[in-house]
Amino acid sequence: MIELTNVSKAYRAGSGRRVVLDDVSVVFPTGVSVGILGLNGAGKSTLLRIIGGVEPPDRGSVRRDVRISWPIGFSGGLHTTMTGRENVQFIARIYGAPIRRVERFAEDFAELGVYFDMPVRTYSSGMRARLAFAVSMAAEFDCYLVDEVMAVGDARFNAKYRRAFKERREGASVIMVSHNPQTIMQECDIAVVLSRGKLTMYPSVDEAMSAYRELMST
Amino acid sequence: MSAKGPSSTLIEALTMQGRVIQALIMREMKTRFGRQRLGYAWALIEPLIYVAIFMALYSFRGREAPSGIPILPFLVTGVMPFMLFRNMVTRTLGALLSNRALLYFPQVTPFDLVVARALLEIGTAAFVFAIFMVAAQLSDQSLRVERPLDVVVWFAVGSLVGFGLGTIFSTLGPLFASIERLVPTVLLRPLFFTSGLFFTAEMIPAGVRDFALLNPMLHVTELVRSALFVGFESEYADPAYPIQTALVLTFIGLTMQRAMRKRVLTALQG
Repeated sequence: MIELTNVSKAYRAGSGRRVVLDDVSVVFPTGVSVGILGLNGAGKSTLLRIIGGVEPPDRGSVRRDVRISWPIGFSGGLHTTMTGRENVQFIARIYGAPIRRVERFAEDFAELGVYFDMPVRTYSSGMRARLAFAVSMAAEFDCYLVDEVMAVGDARFNAKYRRAFKERREGASVIMVSHNPQTIMQECDIAVVLSRGKLTMYPSVDEAMSAYRELMST
Repeated sequence: MSAKGPSSTLIEALTMQGRVIQALIMREMKTRFGRQRLGYAWALIEPLIYVAIFMALYSFRGREAPSGIPILPFLVTGVMPFMLFRNMVTRTLGALLSNRALLYFPQVTPFDLVVARALLEIGTAAFVFAIFMVAAQLSDQSLRVERPLDVVVWFAVGSLVGFGLGTIFSTLGPLFASIERLVPTVLLRPLFFTSGLFFTAEMIPAGVRDFALLNPMLHVTELVRSALFVGFESEYADPAYPIQTALVLTFIGLTMQRAMRKRVLTALQG
């Protein structure tokens, strides 16, 4: 279960403030996959980062009692002066995962060649994404956070990632952000709609979709 | 694997924090020592350079070592506590700024970052000082330390003063860009010249002395030397003063870190 209690988040935007989450309280039940719908700039990715704990809310609290991934493919957590290998070792250590196994898996999966032992700052953005994906796939979580840009690198890497994710996804739930209604329908059991700082949960994806379409037409 | 939030038990939380700090220390060892050609040796060479420069100045001016202490150990006991203090300030100051990516992991807190760097500095200083002590012992069998435990205590107090200051600046650094530049020049340089690295409090002209004694590190240097050297007792050091300063600064530093956490994280990741 992931429980958000009175969570607020705002950004400074120019001279004003843009409220992304306004006193949001919601419970994501364990084992249920949730799609997050919302217009561009509604703050879907921010919500995902707050759920994952990689960004603190301004107010309110987030309680998590499942093993939850950081947003998959999110490369913000990679330290640029550390090598790919050192980053992987560090992440394995703080998650208490078997270091050698995670390291071998990530090295093989990311296909960085000699760059695996070079500082991350020498990587292209595609290479960073590959490393980030590899680390996410090396670890086992109860709940995966997926941001909508799931496509990464060339078609071959993308296919490999999708295969790996499918395997990981068995027995785990996802919370995902996507513009593509098709993806949400395929992957999720229920959905929430984020609009003007408020989050509404719908018992089925269909109901959420119609609310979302209404939102788009206004 | 576990990535649990605040709902986990105390033991789980402590195990996780231990794991995180251990992982951070291992990573910091690489950045601190692994990247330079001299690596770990640099930790030993840097204080030696300071000692050598002060030695040269002393012999150039034909001065006697003060209070009957041989000149080499006198300088080493001045340089070592101050360097530990200075490293504590500068390393904890930069702990958040240079590790901002790691704060994306919910397990890693600003506290973990400053503590990991502080522990590595203390470990390094202890190791270097131990080498100096063994070398001194080997070159002069008659050398004896008056109160070994007190030496450790005053090193610890000096490092805690540095930890407190560094933690305060580690919170301010991400909010005010000039902090990282100002601290070494505006704060550390005056402290360098008033911490008794190459003199004792007694040698300072009476008018300036009261002013210099505002610097807690002068007390620490005097107290280290009093504890180490038979026949040297500082008349001017007040043991309570550096201890109180260390505790107050550390309290302020940790309170600020907690109170301003969200602002700092937003500034670092924005």
